Amino acid sequence: MDLSNEKLIQMYRTMKRIREFETKAAELFAEGRIPGFVHLYIGEEAVATGVCANLKDSDYITSTHRGHGHIIAKGGDLKYMFAELFGRETGYCKGKGGSMHIADADRGILGANGIVGAGHNIAVGAGLSAKYRDTDQVCVCFFGDGSTNQGTFHEALNMASIWKLPVIFVCENNLYGISMHQSRHQAIQDVADRAVAYNMPGVVVDGNDVLAVYEAAKEAVDRARNGQGPTLIECKTYRHRGHFEGDPTVYRDEEEVKEWLQKDPIPRLVEFMLDNNVVTEEEIKKIDEEIAAEIKEAIKFAEESPFPPVEAAVEDIYTDIVEEVRS
Amino acid sequence: MKSIGIIANPASGKDIRRLVSHATVVDNNEKVNIVKRIILSAQGCGVDRIYIMPDTFLIGYKAIEDLKISRELKIDVEILNMNIKGNVMDTIQATKIMEEKGVKCLVVLGGDGTNRAVAKSITTTPLIGVSTGTNNVYPQMIEGTVVGMAAGIMATGICSIDDCCSKDKRVEIFRDGQLIDIALVDCVISRQKYVGSKAIWNMEDIDMVIVSRAHPASIGFSTIVGTSLIVRTDDDFGALIQVNTGSHRVKAPVAAGTIREISVGEVRSLKLDEAFYFKPGYNGIMALDGEREVPFKVGEEYQIKVTRNGPYRVIIDKTLELAQRNGFFKR
Repeated sequence: MDLSNEKLIQMYRTMKRIREFETKAAELFAEGRIPGFVHLYIGEEAVATGVCANLKDSDYITSTHRGHGHIIAKGGDLKYMFAELFGRETGYCKGKGGSMHIADADRGILGANGIVGAGHNIAVGAGLSAKYRDTDQVCVCFFGDGSTNQGTFHEALNMASIWKLPVIFVCENNLYGISMHQSRHQAIQDVADRAVAYNMPGVVVDGNDVLAVYEAAKEAVDRARNGQGPTLIECKTYRHRGHFEGDPTVYRDEEEVKEWLQKDPIPRLVEFMLDNNVVTEEEIKKIDEEIAAEIKEAIKFAEESPFPPVEAAVEDIYTDIVEEVRS
Repeated sequence: MKSIGIIANPASGKDIRRLVSHATVVDNNEKVNIVKRIILSAQGCGVDRIYIMPDTFLIGYKAIEDLKISRELKIDVEILNMNIKGNVMDTIQATKIMEEKGVKCLVVLGGDGTNRAVAKSITTTPLIGVSTGTNNVYPQMIEGTVVGMAAGIMATGICSIDDCCSKDKRVEIFRDGQLIDIALVDCVISRQKYVGSKAIWNMEDIDMVIVSRAHPASIGFSTIVGTSLIVRTDDDFGALIQVNTGSHRVKAPVAAGTIREISVGEVRSLKLDEAFYFKPGYNGIMALDGEREVPFKVGEEYQIKVTRNGPYRVIIDKTLELAQRNGFFKR
């Protein structure tokens, strides 16, 4: 496995950027400075990071309501992300989409998505497009365990398999669909078991170990680029915070949370890098400071950006009714 | 009390080898089915109590519930009262508890890794390994009904350990004179530096394989030895071979559906308890029974030995034949 020191440091940087972005988003939301809802990715950083470290800019991803981490890992710009969260005109969706709809077509980010299970079939469409156009692009479809009970999940895996599409289905199994434990809504423990029904490989990996995720994703991406079709990767992980900011999380016990906090993916990677002389503590500190400065700058950019004008409310929508409303 | 224990690992058979090779898939609901068949056939062969390890998929509970609904369950089946962690420690702890309870046979559903975990703590209880892992070497692919019969025969005392079991070998890893880990089949020395997805499959990273047993009819790294030298379970020696170096070329089934041609050195046999000294010149990792487990560093000193300290493994055919000769099946 070709994991250079540069790659390891890059993955640390990505995980830390996600962690800091989300931590700041939590603070800003608590202070009432961000409208709408936010669903934070803290604790799950290794999944998006390990997977996207295998992707090219031209590859696609589809995301979820908990999408900030995916977007950052695929190269999203923190300035435009914060601007979107703040509802400003400079945001990725001109401030009209908010946390759950960030998209950046230039980077293959086909959108976070407020509808559970809506990304599956978009990913199949992207995979079909790549195959039809005979490119080497792949599409990664991120989704949670709860969405695998939706019909879209099964339709998507079936179609991707039948057509041998370059799609990597990445299940972020954080054990809960909102507040319901997986054991109460699924007759299986490993979502990966469902792959066999659709004639594709299904594997379980430690989603809190970025190296394990990277390895599995690399094999799956290579497989997709080689025309061998889709793969289902199930990453066992845990969100440190509630389903949404403000969720009292009364449905999970303290012991469980404590256990998972000990498996935090960021200190695990740091320990490995220090232990193997990949970086020094001073170098880690420098990276952290750079990220803190980037976050500060991004928030400043967002807060100094204007709100969209009132008339923007009827722009960028599909229907001809726009003109009627205007008039 | 004619009791047996069952440990079923809900995590076996799911790892990355489904992606990098064509490894077998066994889902957890099939493990429930296998456990049901073991319970019923053990019950039919005279077992009156069965202990089952609790697990995150509730394999034992599901099996009991189904058999109660179908009114087939006549004996006591108890799920051990222990806190579960959802990791290898559950298997180790359950093994200890079951031995304390005096089970006469322990049935283990899992792969080489699960059986290795059992082997870390089991003492004298006979073991039957049922493969629900990745095309394993140690546990057998065998029908649950037959397993339950063999376990039942052991529990009833018709056959003794001496008659029906093989005392297995194992590979022992010592660092600074302390035993730090074991493998039941093979220890692979690899240049990879991290545990990652645990399974090992990149041939290019491998420097050496040390085995307690080797046969070309197996699957995995032990076959690199096995294609040159057969090391049987009853042979009082192990073997080691250097890989990716040397003048010989062999082809070996290193993974499911994967025959690889590899450069190797001479196979060297290793007598029981003879130490092979390993002083790494690079940072790497030892994979034990196919899973990356022991990171090592430049300057450390290791001794690797093949010993006869493995579990007592029930030889199923022999057990059933002996039972037949003793009239066990006559009514």
